[in-house]
Amino acid sequence: METANETIKQAPLLEARNLTKVYEDGVKALDNLNIKVMPGEIYAMLGGNGAGKTTTINIFLDFIQPTNGNAFINGIDSNSDPLEAKKNVAFVSENVQLYPNFTAMQNIDFFVRLGGKSNYKRSDYENALNRVGLQSEAFDKKLRDFSKGMRQKCGIAIAILKNAPAILLDEPTSGLDPKAGKEFTKLIGELRDEGKAILMSTHDIFRAKEISDHVGILNNGELVAQRTNAELKGVNLEQLYVEYMAGYMEETDQNLVLTNDLN
Amino acid sequence: MFKLIFIKELKEILQSSRFTISFAVCSLLIILSFFMGAQNYLAGKAQYEAAKQENYNQIAANTEWMSVNHSIMLPPQPLMALVTGISNDIGRDIEVRGRGELSAQNTRFNDEPIFAIFRFMDLEFIFGVILSLFAIIFAYDAINGEKVSGTLKLCFSNSVSRASFIAGKLAGSFAGLSVALIIPLLIGCALLPVLGVNLTGDEWLRLGLILISGLAYFGLFLALTIGISAMTNKPSNSFLIGLVVWIFAVLITPRASVLISGRMVEVPNVDEITSEKNRYRFQLFADDRPKMADFSVPEGTEPQQVMQEFSKYMSELSEERAKKTEIFEEKINEQYINKRRQQERLALSLSRISPASVFSIASTELAGTSLGLQNRYMDSAQDYQQVYNDFMTEKTGTGGMTGFRMIISTDDDSGEEPETIDASELPEFEFQKATLSSTASRSLLDLGLLILFNIVFFGGAFFAFLKYDLR
Ligand SMILES: Nc1ncnc2c1ncn2[C@@H]1O[C@H](COP(=O)(O)OP(=O)(O)OP(=O)(O)O)[C@@H](O)[C@H]1O
Ligand SMILES: [Mg+2]
Repeated sequence: METANETIKQAPLLEARNLTKVYEDGVKALDNLNIKVMPGEIYAMLGGNGAGKTTTINIFLDFIQPTNGNAFINGIDSNSDPLEAKKNVAFVSENVQLYPNFTAMQNIDFFVRLGGKSNYKRSDYENALNRVGLQSEAFDKKLRDFSKGMRQKCGIAIAILKNAPAILLDEPTSGLDPKAGKEFTKLIGELRDEGKAILMSTHDIFRAKEISDHVGILNNGELVAQRTNAELKGVNLEQLYVEYMAGYMEETDQNLVLTNDLN
Repeated sequence: MFKLIFIKELKEILQSSRFTISFAVCSLLIILSFFMGAQNYLAGKAQYEAAKQENYNQIAANTEWMSVNHSIMLPPQPLMALVTGISNDIGRDIEVRGRGELSAQNTRFNDEPIFAIFRFMDLEFIFGVILSLFAIIFAYDAINGEKVSGTLKLCFSNSVSRASFIAGKLAGSFAGLSVALIIPLLIGCALLPVLGVNLTGDEWLRLGLILISGLAYFGLFLALTIGISAMTNKPSNSFLIGLVVWIFAVLITPRASVLISGRMVEVPNVDEITSEKNRYRFQLFADDRPKMADFSVPEGTEPQQVMQEFSKYMSELSEERAKKTEIFEEKINEQYINKRRQQERLALSLSRISPASVFSIASTELAGTSLGLQNRYMDSAQDYQQVYNDFMTEKTGTGGMTGFRMIISTDDDSGEEPETIDASELPEFEFQKATLSSTASRSLLDLGLLILFNIVFFGGAFFAFLKYDLR
């Protein structure tokens, strides 16, 4: 594991290169987006509703084709070789849905196998579920009785078990109670430390600032600001974010904010 | 990957309450239809035996063959009860006379008109109407339901090809549901001998083919519905579309094709034909009238002699008219039958755009209760008429012509009570069932079409999914 990480450390595991997406109805959801996520990094995409976060993730997963540009997972263009690319990524959506007639265990078994991992034992599944904090009474309950947070935890467990080098998270903490949210934050911190590259869309600025190595702010499909964790030290991210979300930013105004931030 | 999805689909179906409920309902209906089919057959057989005995007794009570009234009946068959087809709609009894047209009377619905309204719950109905509807209920949200719920996205965030996903899904749902149908079908089959209905090897083979075509029919509706589900975004839409397609396929197309073919091929109705025949007969008579007036005898012939001559002259004319009439009527009948067959063929061909009609045609053909049943029965009856006529001619010298029979008293003057005839001398009527090979060749087209529909719909669902928006 260590040596493998060393060798791929140089190249980004997730990369959006000049990504542009114009939907059939003419909506420009992404405009020349450039993002790189290195192994052992968490990249948080912030942005208001409709900013283009889900669109970005959907392009990485080949659910939609970009109008322009490319999305690479571990160096593989996910739109020209999606099957190969997707071997290297795990995904947790903002509203994890599993098969309601299956138990948590059955669901996890299916999705983990689908993810290409077929030699796990039940104890491995139990460990993963314990790790995400699902109460053990629920392991063999049917999913139809699960709360949103419980489903979310299952989704995260599936992603952990897939053990892919890159992870895409679309608002993963939505619907989690504060305790679970905190545990989750700790969990993805651990995954980062294991060398995973994590691209996460979120509305939770505080958590984003807390754990991210990079924060990018999307507005109308444009990456209007990008900061490293170091750059964010002492910056009022909330103010920065709200101002970018509020609407357009003239070049000069942006500079203004930046200088303000630095003060 | 295919296997994983196949098994998941199978498990998901088997664990759903939708499955449990419909499995219970379908099993009940299937077993019930076998049970009622068997009961119907046994009751029909008992009635047949009784009527046959009654006919025999009546004949046996006669003192001379001349005054015999003989009826033959369509013997009931197990497969007729399982796939009734037209067997309840055609007359079962035919009064046989040595010459003349035969007509079949007394349909099943004559005796029990309630069934004419509600029909029987035979296998054709169970598969054709109920199971096809269940296929829609099962599969309408197969794809778009997973999209709406979001599992599709989670599946395809993995390295899964669309082809193996949809193939696994189609195969899994077909396997799961058809196994669930096969169980009650096998129970139903096992029930037949238990209830006292013994099928011949030939009949088992036919029943097997009927069930296989039923499963194929179910499969094509399943694939069709999954295809619709893979072309729509909302389960409510695919359900509605599925239902509309079902209504057109099952309820409208077969009826519409009969109506359309009725428009396209004009067939005179029976009244028109009768009046045409009557008109011809009157015409002949009118033509003969001057000839009748021309009758003359040399002057001074004895009146007795005149009467005899006249009678002879008249019967010669009448004989000639009868001959002409017969030829004419035969021609008219043949034209009528040809027209009607043409109309039927057109209706059947048109209706074949609906898989429901194809299944109906195939299953009734295999059960021997298709339109051909009536023709086969009449043909058998006509063959028998020949045999009967020969027999009667031998016995009476006139052929068993009831109606205008002359009473010639043969004066035996023995003074004894006349002895009754030996009814067992009467030749047995034998209904010629369609041979397996002729059935096979006639149902080949429809069995092929069922397979074709399956290929088209499974392929359609497959390709629809390759283009499906997974988000
Ligand atoms: N299928 C689609 N067709 C047309 N426009 C779309 C489609 N999907 C998304 N959009 C538009 O693209 C833009 C970006 O949407 P996207 O879902 O990526 O936003 P988001 O950042 O994920 O928002 P949220 O925070 O609400 O999840 C929006 O304006 C949205 O209306
Ligand atoms: Mg979104």
